[in-house]
Amino acid sequence: MQLDVFQALADPTRRRIVEALLAGEQQVGDVVLRAGIHQSGVSRHLRILSEAGFVSMRPDGQRRLYALKAGPFQELDEWLRNYRALWDARLERFEAALQRKNQKSKDRSKRK
Amino acid sequence: MSTDKKAKIVIERTYQAKLEDVWDLWTTKAGFESWWGPQGFRADVAELDARVGGALRYEMVADTPEMVANMKKMGQPPSHSVTSRFRECQPRERLVLTNIIDFLPGVAAYENDIVVDFRAAGGKVTMTVTLAPMHSEEFSAMQREGFTSQLTKLDARFG
Repeated sequence: MQLDVFQALADPTRRRIVEALLAGEQQVGDVVLRAGIHQSGVSRHLRILSEAGFVSMRPDGQRRLYALKAGPFQELDEWLRNYRALWDARLERFEAALQRKNQKSKDRSKRK
Repeated sequence: MSTDKKAKIVIERTYQAKLEDVWDLWTTKAGFESWWGPQGFRADVAELDARVGGALRYEMVADTPEMVANMKKMGQPPSHSVTSRFRECQPRERLVLTNIIDFLPGVAAYENDIVVDFRAAGGKVTMTVTLAPMHSEEFSAMQREGFTSQLTKLDARFG
Protein backbone atom coordinates (compact mmCIF):
# COMPACT_ATOMS: atom_id res chain seq x y z
CA MET A 1 0.00 0.00 0.00
CA GLN A 2 1.18 3.50 -0.73
CA LEU A 3 0.02 6.80 0.74
CA ASP A 4 -0.28 9.81 -1.51
CA VAL A 5 -1.00 13.45 -0.72
CA PHE A 6 -4.73 12.75 -0.76
CA GLN A 7 -4.45 9.98 1.74
CA ALA A 8 -2.25 12.13 3.95
CA LEU A 9 -5.06 14.70 4.00
CA ALA A 10 -7.89 12.18 4.23
CA ASP A 11 -7.62 12.26 8.00
CA PRO A 12 -9.63 15.11 9.61
CA THR A 13 -7.10 15.59 12.42
CA ARG A 14 -4.31 16.05 9.88
CA ARG A 15 -6.40 18.61 8.00
CA ARG A 16 -6.82 20.52 11.27
CA ILE A 17 -3.09 20.41 11.83
CA VAL A 18 -2.48 21.79 8.34
CA GLU A 19 -4.96 24.60 9.00
CA ALA A 20 -3.33 25.41 12.32
CA LEU A 21 0.05 25.64 10.57
CA LEU A 22 -1.32 28.27 8.20
CA ALA A 23 -0.70 30.68 11.09
CA GLY A 24 3.04 30.14 10.59
CA GLU A 25 5.95 28.23 12.05
CA GLN A 26 5.20 26.91 15.53
CA GLN A 27 5.87 24.31 18.20
CA VAL A 28 3.80 21.18 18.76
CA GLY A 29 2.05 22.71 21.78
CA ASP A 30 0.77 25.60 19.68
CA VAL A 31 -0.39 23.22 16.95
CA VAL A 32 -2.37 21.27 19.54
CA LEU A 33 -3.98 24.44 20.92
CA ARG A 34 -4.77 26.01 17.54
CA ALA A 35 -6.12 22.81 16.03
CA GLY A 36 -8.16 22.00 19.12
CA ILE A 37 -7.00 18.39 19.01
CA HIS A 38 -5.79 15.94 21.56
CA GLN A 39 -2.09 15.80 22.37
CA SER A 40 -1.92 12.07 21.82
CA GLY A 41 -1.01 11.08 18.31
CA VAL A 42 -0.05 14.57 17.23
CA SER A 43 3.59 13.69 16.63
CA ARG A 44 2.57 10.66 14.59
CA HIS A 45 0.32 12.88 12.46
CA LEU A 46 3.11 15.44 12.07
CA ARG A 47 5.46 12.67 10.98
CA ILE A 48 2.98 11.45 8.34
CA LEU A 49 2.51 15.00 7.10
CA SER A 50 6.22 15.59 6.85
CA GLU A 51 6.79 12.25 5.07
CA ALA A 52 4.14 13.33 2.55
CA GLY A 53 6.01 16.60 2.10
CA PHE A 54 3.43 18.90 3.67
CA VAL A 55 5.37 19.86 6.77
CA SER A 56 8.96 20.68 7.58
CA MET A 57 10.63 20.64 11.00
CA ARG A 58 13.70 22.55 12.16
CA PRO A 59 15.28 22.45 15.58
CA ASP A 60 15.76 25.78 17.33
CA GLY A 61 17.70 25.15 20.50
CA GLN A 62 15.47 22.89 22.59
CA ARG A 63 12.44 23.65 20.47
CA ARG A 64 11.29 21.92 17.34
CA LEU A 65 9.48 24.23 14.95
CA TYR A 66 6.99 22.97 12.39
CA ALA A 67 5.96 24.80 9.21
CA LEU A 68 4.07 24.15 5.97
CA LYS A 69 5.84 23.43 2.68
CA ALA A 70 4.44 24.48 -0.69
CA GLY A 71 5.22 21.39 -2.82
CA PRO A 72 2.21 19.12 -2.25
CA PHE A 73 -0.17 22.06 -2.36
CA GLN A 74 1.10 22.90 -5.82
CA GLU A 75 0.49 19.27 -6.81
CA LEU A 76 -3.04 19.42 -5.42
CA ASP A 77 -3.62 22.64 -7.31
CA GLU A 78 -2.34 21.08 -10.52
CA TRP A 79 -4.58 18.08 -10.00
CA LEU A 80 -7.63 20.27 -9.34
CA ARG A 81 -6.91 22.10 -12.58
CA ASN A 82 -6.93 18.78 -14.47
CA TYR A 83 -10.13 17.73 -12.77
CA ARG A 84 -11.79 21.04 -13.54
CA ALA A 85 -10.64 20.80 -17.17
CA LEU A 86 -12.22 17.36 -17.43
CA TRP A 87 -15.55 18.74 -16.22
CA ASP A 88 -15.27 21.83 -18.40
CA ALA A 89 -14.82 19.58 -21.45
CA ARG A 90 -17.66 17.37 -20.27
CA LEU A 91 -20.02 20.32 -19.91
CA GLU A 92 -19.01 21.59 -23.33
CA ARG A 93 -20.17 18.26 -24.72
CA PHE A 94 -23.31 18.66 -22.61
CA GLU A 95 -23.98 21.99 -24.30
CA ALA A 96 -23.35 20.52 -27.75
CA ALA A 97 -25.73 17.65 -26.99
CA LEU A 98 -28.32 20.17 -25.86
CA GLN A 99 -27.98 22.13 -29.08
CA ARG A 100 -28.45 18.96 -31.14
CA LYS A 101 -31.62 18.30 -29.13
CA ASN A 102 -32.85 21.86 -29.71
CA GLN A 103 -32.15 21.56 -33.41
CA LYS A 104 -34.10 18.33 -33.63
CA SER A 105 -37.19 19.75 -31.94
CA LYS A 106 -37.00 22.86 -34.18
CA ASP A 107 -36.80 20.65 -37.27
CA ARG A 108 -39.78 18.70 -36.03
CA SER A 109 -41.90 21.80 -35.48
CA LYS A 110 -40.96 23.11 -38.95
CA ARG A 111 -42.25 19.94 -40.56
CA LYS A 112 -45.57 20.27 -38.76
CA MET B 1 -14.17 24.64 12.16
CA SER B 2 -14.36 24.11 8.46
CA THR B 3 -11.71 21.41 8.31
CA ASP B 4 -14.11 18.49 8.35
CA LYS B 5 -15.84 19.67 5.23
CA LYS B 6 -14.68 18.06 2.06
CA ALA B 7 -13.13 20.21 -0.63
CA LYS B 8 -15.75 20.99 -3.24
CA ILE B 9 -15.76 22.21 -6.78
CA VAL B 10 -18.83 24.11 -7.99
CA ILE B 11 -19.38 24.58 -11.70
CA GLU B 12 -22.29 26.61 -13.00
CA ARG B 13 -23.52 26.82 -16.59
CA THR B 14 -26.47 28.64 -18.13
CA TYR B 15 -27.99 27.29 -21.32
CA GLN B 16 -30.55 28.67 -23.71
CA ALA B 17 -32.72 25.59 -23.49
CA LYS B 18 -35.79 23.95 -22.13
CA LEU B 19 -35.53 22.60 -18.59
CA GLU B 20 -36.99 19.33 -19.78
CA ASP B 21 -34.17 18.84 -22.31
CA VAL B 22 -31.47 19.61 -19.75
CA TRP B 23 -33.02 17.17 -17.31
CA ASP B 24 -33.31 14.45 -19.96
CA LEU B 25 -29.59 14.60 -20.72
CA TRP B 26 -28.96 13.39 -17.17
CA THR B 27 -31.84 11.00 -16.77
CA THR B 28 -32.27 9.11 -20.03
CA LYS B 29 -29.95 6.50 -21.51
CA ALA B 30 -29.59 8.24 -24.87
CA GLY B 31 -29.20 11.61 -23.18
CA PHE B 32 -26.53 10.50 -20.74
CA GLU B 33 -24.55 8.62 -23.39
CA SER B 34 -24.52 11.69 -25.63
CA TRP B 35 -22.11 13.69 -23.48
CA TRP B 36 -20.75 11.92 -20.40
CA GLY B 37 -17.45 10.65 -21.85
CA PRO B 38 -14.93 11.60 -20.50
CA GLN B 39 -12.69 12.60 -23.41
CA GLY B 40 -11.46 9.48 -25.20
CA PHE B 41 -14.18 7.33 -23.63
CA ARG B 42 -17.80 6.63 -24.29
CA ALA B 43 -20.36 5.56 -21.72
CA ASP B 44 -22.48 2.53 -22.61
CA VAL B 45 -25.44 2.67 -20.26
CA ALA B 46 -26.76 -0.69 -19.05
CA GLU B 47 -29.30 0.69 -16.60
CA LEU B 48 -30.55 4.15 -15.78
CA ASP B 49 -33.37 4.38 -13.30
CA ALA B 50 -33.85 8.02 -12.38
CA ARG B 51 -35.66 7.83 -9.07
CA VAL B 52 -34.54 7.79 -5.46
CA GLY B 53 -32.49 4.65 -4.91
CA GLY B 54 -32.44 3.86 -8.65
CA ALA B 55 -29.25 2.65 -10.29
CA LEU B 56 -27.09 4.13 -13.00
CA ARG B 57 -24.82 1.45 -14.41
CA TYR B 58 -22.56 2.03 -17.35
CA GLU B 59 -19.43 0.77 -19.01
CA MET B 60 -16.67 3.32 -19.54
CA VAL B 61 -15.19 2.25 -22.86
CA ALA B 62 -11.98 3.61 -24.41
CA ASP B 63 -13.30 5.05 -27.65
CA THR B 64 -10.32 6.32 -29.64
CA PRO B 65 -7.40 4.26 -30.99
CA GLU B 66 -5.05 6.42 -28.89
CA MET B 67 -6.97 5.74 -25.70
CA VAL B 68 -7.23 2.02 -26.43
CA ALA B 69 -3.46 1.92 -26.96
CA ASN B 70 -2.90 4.01 -23.86
CA MET B 71 -4.96 1.72 -21.65
CA LYS B 72 -3.09 -1.27 -23.05
CA LYS B 73 0.22 0.39 -22.32
CA MET B 74 -0.87 1.02 -18.73
CA GLY B 75 -1.88 -2.63 -18.41
CA GLN B 76 -5.53 -1.65 -17.98
CA PRO B 77 -8.58 -3.22 -19.61
CA PRO B 78 -10.12 -1.03 -22.35
CA SER B 79 -13.32 -0.65 -20.37
CA HIS B 80 -14.57 -0.87 -16.85
CA SER B 81 -17.99 -0.73 -15.28
CA VAL B 82 -19.25 1.98 -13.00
CA THR B 83 -22.25 1.82 -10.71
CA SER B 84 -23.88 4.89 -9.23
CA ARG B 85 -27.12 5.49 -7.41
CA PHE B 86 -29.60 8.31 -7.46
CA ARG B 87 -29.52 9.38 -3.85
CA GLU B 88 -31.89 12.24 -4.61
CA CYS B 89 -34.12 12.82 -7.58
CA GLN B 90 -36.53 15.75 -7.64
CA PRO B 91 -37.60 15.92 -11.27
CA ARG B 92 -36.28 19.03 -13.02
CA GLU B 93 -34.94 20.50 -9.78
CA ARG B 94 -32.18 18.48 -8.27
CA LEU B 95 -30.41 15.19 -8.47
CA VAL B 96 -27.65 13.61 -6.46
CA LEU B 97 -25.63 10.78 -7.96
CA THR B 98 -23.62 8.70 -5.53
CA ASN B 99 -20.62 6.68 -6.63
CA ILE B 100 -19.29 3.97 -4.40
CA ILE B 101 -15.52 4.23 -4.37
CA ASP B 102 -14.20 0.87 -3.26
CA PHE B 103 -11.26 0.34 -5.57
CA LEU B 104 -8.57 2.39 -3.89
CA PRO B 105 -5.93 0.32 -2.19
CA GLY B 106 -5.59 1.24 1.46
CA VAL B 107 -8.64 3.50 1.47
CA ALA B 108 -11.84 2.27 3.10
CA ALA B 109 -14.84 2.23 0.76
CA TYR B 110 -16.66 5.53 0.78
CA GLU B 111 -19.19 7.44 -1.25
CA ASN B 112 -18.65 10.32 -3.57
CA ASP B 113 -21.52 12.56 -4.64
CA ILE B 114 -22.26 14.61 -7.71
CA VAL B 115 -24.98 17.14 -6.93
CA VAL B 116 -26.81 18.84 -9.78
CA ASP B 117 -29.28 21.69 -9.29
CA PHE B 118 -31.49 22.96 -12.10
CA ARG B 119 -33.12 26.38 -12.23
CA ALA B 120 -35.19 27.73 -15.12
CA ALA B 121 -35.74 31.44 -15.68
CA GLY B 122 -36.59 33.50 -18.73
CA GLY B 123 -36.10 30.78 -21.32
CA LYS B 124 -32.76 29.82 -19.83
CA VAL B 125 -31.67 27.02 -17.59
CA THR B 126 -28.94 27.36 -15.00
CA MET B 127 -27.32 24.12 -14.00
CA THR B 128 -25.02 23.92 -10.98
CA VAL B 129 -22.79 20.90 -10.59
CA THR B 130 -21.17 20.40 -7.18
CA LEU B 131 -18.35 17.89 -6.98
CA ALA B 132 -16.33 16.44 -4.17
CA PRO B 133 -13.37 15.40 -6.28
CA MET B 134 -11.12 13.63 -3.81
CA HIS B 135 -10.57 10.03 -4.86
CA SER B 136 -13.30 10.24 -7.45
CA GLU B 137 -13.80 7.85 -10.32
CA GLU B 138 -12.30 10.37 -12.72
CA PHE B 139 -9.31 10.96 -10.55
CA SER B 140 -8.36 7.34 -10.65
CA ALA B 141 -9.01 7.30 -14.41
CA MET B 142 -6.76 10.31 -14.86
CA GLN B 143 -4.08 8.62 -12.84
CA ARG B 144 -4.31 5.55 -15.03
CA GLU B 145 -4.04 7.65 -18.13
CA GLY B 146 -1.10 9.55 -16.75
CA PHE B 147 -2.79 12.93 -16.83
CA THR B 148 -1.55 13.73 -13.37
CA SER B 149 1.98 14.10 -12.21
CA GLN B 150 3.25 11.34 -10.03
CA LEU B 151 2.09 12.40 -6.60
CA THR B 152 4.27 11.99 -3.57
CA LYS B 153 4.18 8.46 -2.33
CA LEU B 154 4.52 7.33 1.22
CA ASP B 155 5.29 4.02 2.75
CA ALA B 156 2.37 2.00 4.09
CA ARG B 157 3.50 1.80 7.67
CA PHE B 158 2.13 5.26 8.40
CA GLY B 159 -1.41 4.41 7.38
